[in-house]
Amino acid sequence: MEAKGIKKNTAIWILAVLVLFVLSIILGIIMRLNQGGAVHLEPGTFYADMTVHGITMIGIWFVAGMAGVNFIMERYVKTSYWANTFALVMTVIGVVMLWVSTLIGDFHAGWTFLYPLPFKIAWSAWATPMFLWALAVLGVGWLVWVLSLMAALLKKYSISQVFAWQHFRNKNPEVETPPFVLISMVSLLGVLTCLIAAVVLLVLLFAEYYSHGTFVNDALLIKNLTYFFGHTIANEMLYLGLAIIYELFPEISGRPKWKTTWYVAIAWNLTLFFVLLAFFHHLYMDFVQPQGLQIVGQLASYLASLPSAGVTVFSVIVAVYRTKIKWSLSNLLFFIGIAGWVIGGVGAVIDATISNNFLLHNTLWVPAHFHSYNAMGNVLFSLGFFHWFSVEYSKRKGQERLSSLKLSFLLLGGIGFLAAFYVAGAESIPRRYSSYPVEFTSAKLLATLGAVFATVYLIAILLFFSSIFKRCLNMVLQRS
Amino acid sequence: MLKYGLTTFLIFVCSFIEDAVAQPAVGWQEEANINEVIYNAPLQIISGAHVSIHQLAAQNPLVVAFVFTRCSGICTPLIIQLKESLQFAPNIANKKYNVLVVSFDPRDSVKDMENMATRFNLQHEGNWEFAVTDSISRLISSVNFNPVWDEKTLQFDHDALLVGVNSQGFVTKKLLGLRNSKDIGLLINSINNVFSPTYRLPAQSNLFSCYNYNPKTGKNTPGLGMLFIALPAILSFLILIFIRLVSKSKSV
Ligand code: HEM
Repeated sequence: MEAKGIKKNTAIWILAVLVLFVLSIILGIIMRLNQGGAVHLEPGTFYADMTVHGITMIGIWFVAGMAGVNFIMERYVKTSYWANTFALVMTVIGVVMLWVSTLIGDFHAGWTFLYPLPFKIAWSAWATPMFLWALAVLGVGWLVWVLSLMAALLKKYSISQVFAWQHFRNKNPEVETPPFVLISMVSLLGVLTCLIAAVVLLVLLFAEYYSHGTFVNDALLIKNLTYFFGHTIANEMLYLGLAIIYELFPEISGRPKWKTTWYVAIAWNLTLFFVLLAFFHHLYMDFVQPQGLQIVGQLASYLASLPSAGVTVFSVIVAVYRTKIKWSLSNLLFFIGIAGWVIGGVGAVIDATISNNFLLHNTLWVPAHFHSYNAMGNVLFSLGFFHWFSVEYSKRKGQERLSSLKLSFLLLGGIGFLAAFYVAGAESIPRRYSSYPVEFTSAKLLATLGAVFATVYLIAILLFFSSIFKRCLNMVLQRS
Repeated sequence: MLKYGLTTFLIFVCSFIEDAVAQPAVGWQEEANINEVIYNAPLQIISGAHVSIHQLAAQNPLVVAFVFTRCSGICTPLIIQLKESLQFAPNIANKKYNVLVVSFDPRDSVKDMENMATRFNLQHEGNWEFAVTDSISRLISSVNFNPVWDEKTLQFDHDALLVGVNSQGFVTKKLLGLRNSKDIGLLINSINNVFSPTYRLPAQSNLFSCYNYNPKTGKNTPGLGMLFIALPAILSFLILIFIRLVSKSKSV
């Protein structure tokens, strides 16, 4: 009954993610249209739109990764249906609160709600506590879910086994750690850490809010904690998607299962450690942060991303190079997604290099790189999983239609949308401007082009949506 | 083992809290009253004119300096330094401002202020005004300036305070202590509604700073805040070990 429950929950997660994704893309397109001058929003409305877009996108692609990992983990260990359901309920409540606080209460401090913005109230007074409580609700739901999945893995594997330490030296160890288990555990521990950072952050913010200024926070501490949480969760959700790819890519392609080798084990252990330190690169402009931490930020940014990206790309190339592959929509999405992840990753590493950051900091280069590994990376990892899951477990099989059209629109729309951000970033056009001053001569044109290409991307997503949605809805409505 | 680890950790944290709470009250309040309206006190200017602060500010944004004429301490250096800094302050060439020197001692008369202006050779400077008011306590409390009379020295114990007021009467920036021309430049810009960077000074209510600055040694040492940044990573590794220990003991 529990395995069936997890399957049904996974279908519900997919439905919820898809609906919220479409709505959030529309909000994104409205922002680009406003920046291009085609529509006119009040600045406050623009920033409320930006806040809800950012936080919803981060939230849904995180839960999409978690739902996928939870579903596949059932192959190795027994997971908790109740923790999964609890997270689902808390997520629904949290998302409703977030949307009410931003779209009705007009809270618009950005998805990073950087201190002291939440307390400089330029919106309905209740919107600040509601936004913060929404995060607390989401945090509790996700914390329980993460802990339950960690506990499930640790029941079967010892700490050294779950992190594949036995693979460092021994080519054929007695107990083999599947790459899926290794990468899931690396990601779950990272998620746990950043959720604890969020708890500390929220406690400090609530303390200031409810003490009416008797207790005041240290701005540098809050900024460090905000990015510890925000940067880390945005990275870990990608790794959740990669864990799924390590499991499903060879399987769907009709190739032997990937194994954990010494270099895969080392690369992911480096990621485990260094991703927790990479967030310091968000504080390069904070002159009070000691220089040592800035250098740690740069080195950790390299060491967290390059080894894991290297071994993943290597594994994929070895799997596809001169071998007969059973290509399907899912593994094509995985393949393109890895390219998007790597391209975005290169953009991120360029920005995380201190000398470049002087030029690129807070320009549109930043949304350019993070949209690359999200809109054309992580989204495709999960979309590949959604497609595979809906086809594999639905009774409505049938031929997949319009595959080439879907992929062509996705590529054309995605690349055009991102290119508009990259070119603008390279021209030092700032991010988070609701409308651009005339001095940025190309900004409006690039924004309008971005909106047009994003609409093409949206059409592709709607095409995927219609087939996946129908199958998943069927699964949910089926009587067990 | 975990129990001992946690206890040691808690003792460590608590010892820091004691330190942080025991920090002397600095009481510097440069951030207080920003964006609040300064009290609209009626002024008697040494030229003989009667105007209110808001009327004066509407003509030109103001830098308000609080002094008393019998001061044997900071008031003289404050005015001399301000006069000099205004000559060298960067980026203020086309900015409008008046300096209003107002006495916070009810015993000071217009004549006393006139003498003071003459002493500093400022009596004919077009953008300097010296004045007294009969509403001094409301004026100083609106900018959180709290001089204390000392019977022994027959002097006020007080800060050196400059308050920037824009032409709508809002406090835009405050400067405590004798400040260099760069800071004065920022003050003039802020009263002209040009963005000027600001920062919060340490205060008693601020318990968890990342760094503690020691003005005597000029050094920064890591503060309790740093521990908060490390805390999530430490806790999650402890939780990892804890879960494994629990699930191992259950399976035995
Ligand atoms: C075609 C789809 C999308 C469109 C049209 C879009 C559009 C935008 C725009 C216009 C901005 C504001 C950029 C600026 O700073 O000026 C933005 C910010 C952002 N977007 Fe997207 N986006 C899309 C997909 C995604 C996806 C898939 C994610 C997944 C994580 C995402 C996450 C974010 C985040 C986190 C921000 C920052 C919000 C903030 O600064 O508070 N977006 N997006």
